Order: sequence, then C-alpha cells, then structure tokens
Amino acid sequence: MTFSRRKFLAAGFLSSAVFLMDGCSLFGVTTPIDTIKVLHRDLFPKAAELNIITAPYMYIVFHHSRISKSDKVFIKNGVKWLNEEAIKMHKNSYVKLSSLKRQGVLRSIAKTEWGESFLYNIMGYMFEAMLGDPIYGGNNKEAGWRWLAFSGGEPRPKKAFL
Amino acid sequence: MVDVCIIGSGAGASPIAYELANAGFSVVVLEKGKDYTESDFNKDELAVCRRDMFTPPLWEQKHIINEYNEDGTFTRYDGAESGWNFWNGSMVGGSSNLMSGYFHRMKPNDFRLKSVYGEIKGANVVDWPLSYEELEPYYTKVEQVVGVSGKVVEHKFQEPRSTADFPYPPLQTNGATKWYDKACKALGYDVMPTPRAILSEDSLNRKGCFYSNFCGSYGCASAAKGSGRAALLQKCQVKIITNAFVYRLESDDKRVTRAYYYTKHGVRHSVKAKIFVLAAQAIESSRLLLNSKNEYFPNGLANSSGEVGKNLIFSAGGSGSGRFVFEKLSKEQQEELMQPGVFFNRSLQDWYEFSEDGQKYKGGTIDFLFEHQNIIPRVMQEVYDSDGNLLWGEALAKNIHKRMTTSRVLTFEVFNDWLPTDRCFVSVDEKVKDKYGVPVGVINLYGHPQDLKVGEHLAKKALKVLEELGCEEIDYSISASPPPNLVAGGCRFGEDAKTSVLDKNCKAHDLENLYVSDASFMPTGGSVPYTWTIYANSFRVAGIIKERLQLKKNLHSFKNKML
Repeated sequence: MTFSRRKFLAAGFLSSAVFLMDGCSLFGVTTPIDTIKVLHRDLFPKAAELNIITAPYMYIVFHHSRISKSDKVFIKNGVKWLNEEAIKMHKNSYVKLSSLKRQGVLRSIAKTEWGESFLYNIMGYMFEAMLGDPIYGGNNKEAGWRWLAFSGGEPRPKKAFL
Repeated sequence: MVDVCIIGSGAGASPIAYELANAGFSVVVLEKGKDYTESDFNKDELAVCRRDMFTPPLWEQKHIINEYNEDGTFTRYDGAESGWNFWNGSMVGGSSNLMSGYFHRMKPNDFRLKSVYGEIKGANVVDWPLSYEELEPYYTKVEQVVGVSGKVVEHKFQEPRSTADFPYPPLQTNGATKWYDKACKALGYDVMPTPRAILSEDSLNRKGCFYSNFCGSYGCASAAKGSGRAALLQKCQVKIITNAFVYRLESDDKRVTRAYYYTKHGVRHSVKAKIFVLAAQAIESSRLLLNSKNEYFPNGLANSSGEVGKNLIFSAGGSGSGRFVFEKLSKEQQEELMQPGVFFNRSLQDWYEFSEDGQKYKGGTIDFLFEHQNIIPRVMQEVYDSDGNLLWGEALAKNIHKRMTTSRVLTFEVFNDWLPTDRCFVSVDEKVKDKYGVPVGVINLYGHPQDLKVGEHLAKKALKVLEELGCEEIDYSISASPPPNLVAGGCRFGEDAKTSVLDKNCKAHDLENLYVSDASFMPTGGSVPYTWTIYANSFRVAGIIKERLQLKKNLHSFKNKML
C-alpha cells in the first residue's frame, strides 16, 4: 500500500499542528507524524535495518474505524508531552535533539505513568506495522516475519480491514 | 406467521434451526451480526485480534460491570471507558466460529452437584432437572453432526458413552506431546488427548483441518471447525436476517407474539411466530427479557419468579505457563518443538473430584496447549525487562529475537465450577443506553472463594507437569476474573416455577411458546468449557419443539380431513 498525497492530506489528525508549550509560553509547533517517525527509529532501529518503514502505518491508525477517538487523542497528547519534556530538559523539540539526548528524554518519560503508557502504546502500533500482514503497508516483503522465523497464517487477507 | 423465530444463531440456536428447518417447518433466525462464508475468513491478526472485527465497538454497544468488593460494595466499570469487553462474536454462527473447540462432556455428577457434594455456604447450588443419561444421546449426536475428533482413553473420570469412540480420529499433534506423555506417566497422571470440535479429515461436506496455526479467535477457512454456521446453518433452508438486533419481545399473558428488531440503519421491524426461541448468549438473553417488561410481566418477560438474570456463572479457574528453551533440548527436539500448525491437544481430568482435609470437592479439567501463535502480543510481552522497566532499541531487538526463535511457551487452562451466587447476576441499566437507545446489560460479578481454592489445587497439579518437562519461567494465575467467552446461567431451568425461569424442556414457566436454548438454562456449569453441552441441549430442545409442532400439524390435518 502506498500513501498518496490525497491520503496524506486527508490524514489531517496526524499531520495537524501540535502546539508545544514551554511553561506558559508557546515554544513551537510540530506534527505527530514528524515526531513519530523519529520516535519509531529510536525505539526500534531494527525495523529500518530490515527495510521496514513503520511510521506511515500511523495514518491507518489515526483513521481506523475501530480505534477509539480517545486512543487517538492520547497519542497526539503523548507527542505533545514528549516534546515538552524535550524542551524542558534540553530547550529544543524532540526531533531536533541529538540521538543521545533523545534517549535521555525517553528514559525520563519512561519513569512517568503517562510516558510509560505512551511508549507502550506507540510500540504496540509500531509492531503492528512491522509484524502485521504486509497488506497494511509495513512488514516489507514479510521481512519482520522472516526475522523471527515466523509464518503468517493462511489464508492471508486480500484487503486491509480499516 | 412463521413456525419458529430464533433470536441468535450460535451454538444454542443453530441446532434448533437445523432440526426444525430440515423437518419442514418455517424458521426465521434474527442475528445481530453479519454473515460470512469460509472464503471470507483469513488469519489477519490486526483485523481479527487487534481491531476486534467480529464484535461491536464498545463505544456503540457496551456493558456496565459491577465488581463485588470484600466490604460489600461494588466497583462500577463502564465497558467502553475501561475496555472491558464481554462480546464474543456478533456474526452468523456466533462465537462458535471463533472458539478453539475444546470439547469435553459434563460428567454424571455435574448434573447432581448438590446431592453428591452437598450445600456450599454462600452458593446457590442445585441439581439439574435432567440427568447425564438423558443428555448422553445428544452429546453423541453432536459428535456425529457437528463433528468431534479425538480418542477415548480410559481414566478414572471417563464418563459413560453410548459409542466406543469419537467418529473422527484425533488431530495431528506436535512432537513435544511425546515428552508430555512421558512426563505424565512419570507423575502417575492419566494422559488424555483433548477432543476437539474440528474435523481431522474431510467429511460432512466440509474440509478437514488445514493446520493453519491460527485456530482460536479466528474464523475457520476450511470449515473443519464445528461452528453453528458451518456445521448446521449452511445445511438447512432457514431464513437468516442479519444485522437484526432484537430489542423487545412482545407478549400477552400467555404467549410471545412478536420479536421487534432494529436493522443496522435503525429501522424497526418485527417477526410473528408460533414459537420463539431465545439464544442470544447468556448475558444478552437475560437483558432482552428484562428489557421486554410489559403489563403482564412488569419485572421482565418470563420473570414472575424474579429469577431472570440471576445466578450468572462463568468458568472458574485460570491459566499458567512454562517455557521450553533450546538450551535444554537436542537439535532434533528443537525442530520438533517449533513445528508449526499441528496441535498440542492434551488434557488432564485426574482431579475432576478430589478430597482434601477429609472433604470431597468437585474439581475440574486442565487443558494443555501451546501459547497462541499471534505474533504481536508475544512480542509485546518482551518490552519489559525482569525488573518491570520498559525496554527498547537494540536490547529489545535482541531479547525478542532470542525468545521468538529459540523457545516456545506451553500453557495450561484450568476449568472448574464457578459457583452460582446471589452476587453474580445480570440486570439492566435504565440510564445507559446502546447505539439503538436500548438499556445496556449490567454484569454484576462475584467469584465464590471455593472457586479459587479448587482452581489453585488444579493449577498446582498442572505445574508439576511443566516442572517434569523441564520448562522454565513456570508461572500461573488463578483469579475470580471471568472469561467472557465461557458464560452461562441467568435463566436456570428447574421443576419449580418459583425458583427457576425455565422448565426441564427449557420452555419459560410463564409462557406457552418461549424457549431459551443458549447456556442461560444451566444452573451449574460443570468443570469443562460449555459449548458441547450447549449444542447437545439445543438438539434436545429442538426435538421437543419438533414433536410439539408435528403434533399440532397432525391435529390440523386431522381436523381438515374431518371437515
């Protein structure tokens, strides 16, 4: 599955602005997808090594008829909070930090209840992309399955369930 | 007007449809979900297990759950907010499409729990008005018509059978079962292959099992699994109306007159029938009766006893697991262990009854099976280290790879009686409504302390097998947490109309033409998964209804001839 420009534009929630606050003042603006792209690489670099791109799967997540609005809002809020932690710790948004500093931010939020929940959530969707049926656009040529010597069940889906 | 209108289409409904339609009666089935055929089913983990494609979204249809606390209060959970999901399969054939099909019969003593084991304080245990001997022919019929594969082996609690063995040979098993059999022998346990409602070879105009490696939770693309849809509904001329949510049964003081339903677009329709059969799965059947109150039945239809919704039961017990690791296995054993597709299929019933401190207890069944093959939850189990900290990056990748490729988890499930009590019941919430505007069901939950005691006893026996097998990371959990797919009760059957909802024939005491044929009728559940008993009882009830309709038809013909 490819993500056309029309679909990209339609995916408003994921590419819409998230306003980042530094205390009471506006620090900057980001989009969930910009942050999630980097976050996925930081959390599981093995996916890229296997030529699996996981971030675009989040467009499916944000438009899925079976994922509740509150779950979607939680991810968007998590992106905002992650960036605000980055600003608090290093005076810059998450994607603009060095790899070393980003890891520090992740370690910091993992100690909080929301941060642990957010990272667990993000990893759940990331592994869905990496290890779900390739029809959903991740798991490039079943590379994720092959890495784990796993065979998907037969019959395989003929279309994605959205 | 049709002869019979059935609400629901699962294991409690499909035998009625099959028997009556094949006897020439007109049958309408009202099913809330969609219809599927074998070609619609696939093993899409994301759709089936992560996005729950076969159950309604909780924000559209949910339950309210009240969990009993030790101090006598209940903690209230909103099903949508908490994600607590009690739906099991809204589709033609119901959750029988998605079952694993572990099929055990109840034992003769399960039908007379009170007489054999006595009163239990705080529990409403009663004997069934039916004996094992009366139900036995229908268990046999299910083996033959729905299809059960297995092998009868003699053991202490083997129930009497009218046939020597199952009509279909056991399914293929993984090489690791040899190690299990040896371990059980060393422990003095009786090895028992688990009977399955899965055809091991082509028969009944259905394919034998493809060994897809993904069985429970998934629809079966080969039709080997004995779902009500594949085994029965596809083999009879019955009118199935899908996307039909029945929200009310209308009655006068003696008879149900109409079933009202909403289409998926919210349009109201109704069906008139001579006989109505309710089989919407235990919680929803009680909910519909309670939501159908009228001037004749102000507390809910068929509820003059006040017993509708009462004595809801689940299967008590829990589960445990141990991990086979490559380090302890030869190369050949490693290959055997990782062989995909084939089943484990082993059960223990050595403690279906046991004594402790001079007291006799009703015990239960232990099924052994490999951990479900779904890859995503298995991977997600690895994102925490042994100290409970989140892992990511290289460390996580290394951990996942090692665990997935050089080990395999064997699990066990314990099934014992969930004792019926006053604190576990179904009611409706007048304020909270579903997408149709109908009051939602309230599930009031309580597990009797004896359920946990028996579960613990059984789990400890199962642990010995895992230890003998040399498994690592052996662990188990017995709790009062209810398995949503193993639910029964709410309309118990009995001889006394003051203390039961249904008579021995599963007809409502209060109404002449209303039967309830899902697991609602069960006053106690036995210590086995319920589906086989639901099927068997539904075939029994079908026979009773068929005889009644036949008699009426004969009388009608006789009158016509006389005229």
